[in-house]
Amino acid sequence: MIKIENLHVEVDGKAILKGINLTINAGEVHAIMGPNGSGKSTLSNVIAGRNGYTVTQGSIRYFDQDLLEMKPEERAWAGIFLAFQYPVEIPGVNNTYLLKAGVNARRRQQGLEELDAMDFMQMVQEKARLVELDPAFLSRSVNVGFSGGEKKRNEIFQMAVLEPKLALLDETDSGLDIDALRIVAGGINKLRNPERAIVMITHYQRLLDYITPDFVHVLANGEILTSGDAKLAHKLEKEGYDWLLEKDTAA
Amino acid sequence: MLTNNAPQQLTGIALPSLQDEDWKYTSLSPLVAALGAAWWQQRAGTPVATPSELTLDSIRINAATASCDRALPDGVTLRPWRESDHGLFDLPPAPPLPYSAKLARALADGGICLCIADGVELEQPILITHPEATGSSARLHGIHIGAGTNATLIDHFHGVATGAGVGTSLCQIRLQANAALDHYRIQQNSASHFHLGRIEIGQHRDSRYRLFAAELGSALSRLDLVTTLLEQGAECTLNGLMVLAGRQHADHHLHINHAAPHCRSRVHYRTVADDRARVVFNGAVRVAKGANGTDSAQTNANLLLSKRAQVDTKPELEIYNDDVKCAHGATVGQLDAEQLFYLQSRGIAKAEARQLLTIAFAEALLDTVAIPELRKVIEQAIMAKLPHGA
Repeated sequence: MIKIENLHVEVDGKAILKGINLTINAGEVHAIMGPNGSGKSTLSNVIAGRNGYTVTQGSIRYFDQDLLEMKPEERAWAGIFLAFQYPVEIPGVNNTYLLKAGVNARRRQQGLEELDAMDFMQMVQEKARLVELDPAFLSRSVNVGFSGGEKKRNEIFQMAVLEPKLALLDETDSGLDIDALRIVAGGINKLRNPERAIVMITHYQRLLDYITPDFVHVLANGEILTSGDAKLAHKLEKEGYDWLLEKDTAA
Repeated sequence: MLTNNAPQQLTGIALPSLQDEDWKYTSLSPLVAALGAAWWQQRAGTPVATPSELTLDSIRINAATASCDRALPDGVTLRPWRESDHGLFDLPPAPPLPYSAKLARALADGGICLCIADGVELEQPILITHPEATGSSARLHGIHIGAGTNATLIDHFHGVATGAGVGTSLCQIRLQANAALDHYRIQQNSASHFHLGRIEIGQHRDSRYRLFAAELGSALSRLDLVTTLLEQGAECTLNGLMVLAGRQHADHHLHINHAAPHCRSRVHYRTVADDRARVVFNGAVRVAKGANGTDSAQTNANLLLSKRAQVDTKPELEIYNDDVKCAHGATVGQLDAEQLFYLQSRGIAKAEARQLLTIAFAEALLDTVAIPELRKVIEQAIMAKLPHGA
């Protein structure tokens, strides 16, 4: 689905990613772990198309297209979704309106008819139940007056509505209490399917107690130091990142 | 009709220069360039018959002809403005008149006097249409709202571009005790039009004046609004939404006189400026010596959609009393890059996302428009002005 090769990225002239290689196929769940400042969020932001990141080397192919040539909205239409680490508050823009505009823009791109208001509302209410989001939130401004946990739940709700092929979840677990984490993780698990790839960016094992990844990658200092399966995450939980970082310096 | 002996009367009225503090940011030279040095002598053409786009259910008055489309309800009278009407509306102290008032009086070639008697409840709003004309036209209007009367008034300035024109107007409003006026002023003149407006309001005890000004049209548009809270308990709310593009220039100078104790004033202006548009906002509040318990607040938020758009905003507080609450705040900003990216990442194209965020910015003021059809017209007019491909 997506193939990242030798990706080098700079922010304000500073090298953040230094040669990332990563291939993700449909149906897979990947966890990208690593200490703060290792470049995890940069990777997801570059894939989603956020401004301010300069790719100096390497490539990202997505369904055999040059992803880096695409605008953020084109990436969304092609099925990429980013759950924000810090969901943005947008006073005056209604939650439902945002989703309806997003869904219909994508349908137009695909040559499909726009959903009518009734069908859309029904679909949205169904998806809201998935993350136990109070339907009252649907008619409110995007993220305005939401608690930290509600914002994260709203991100997963949006994911459910937009039905991405590739979902990037940037620290969706941070700032959640245990109940909220359980609900969010439950929602994500229900959205797992053979056509969809999910990338979870986190520095805690916590989320992975609920969602078992197929692959775990450790990103530090702009490079993937090691990759493995779910067992790697348990090892990191017990031993921290130090053993990896030391190995890196020794090498 | 008043006689138009403008050239003589105008001999002592020099055009305001940029040295004049009130006209520091607004030059009338584009007006002179478009209509000529003796612009006031350009005879006004007949307004092109473009019906006001506002189709809402209302009592419709044409300001150019001082006529109404139906029999007026009981308690409402309408007639052409007369010179002696100034006696009814002028507030002490006697002038030196500011430029905009002098201009309107010197040039006046018509206008209306609308009186609503005491204790009238109107079911419909009154819509006064001001169709634009080429050349120079000037109107004096008087609106009298009787004690305990509730009314909604919509002034619609509108037209299509047929040639350069300048419209000058002075509207004097008197609100008697416990009267309430919701005043919508929608300026949608064509891009070849210049608009110089002035509103003077006198508010008696416990009266309530609420303005919603939508500033959308004209090459250059200026509004001077002066309201005097004459007796205690009077209240004014001045809301304004300006959306400008191209090389449009709009300037609102508000002046609130707290002349009596326990009065309240609120100002909330939002402006959106794109391309090379320029916005001037000046919010002056004067609190007189005896005006104890004055409560006044103003906010002005400005959104610049282009690097070349410009805004000058200034609060002006003149307070001669200790027992007052006066707050003010102004902001100037651009569209938020994070919000923009968030919308794009949800599949909303950039141009549409910019529109959405701009409307969202205007929403706080659109929410104060109590007539749904009117809100819709304003919202659509704003949408039409916003860039479609950025």
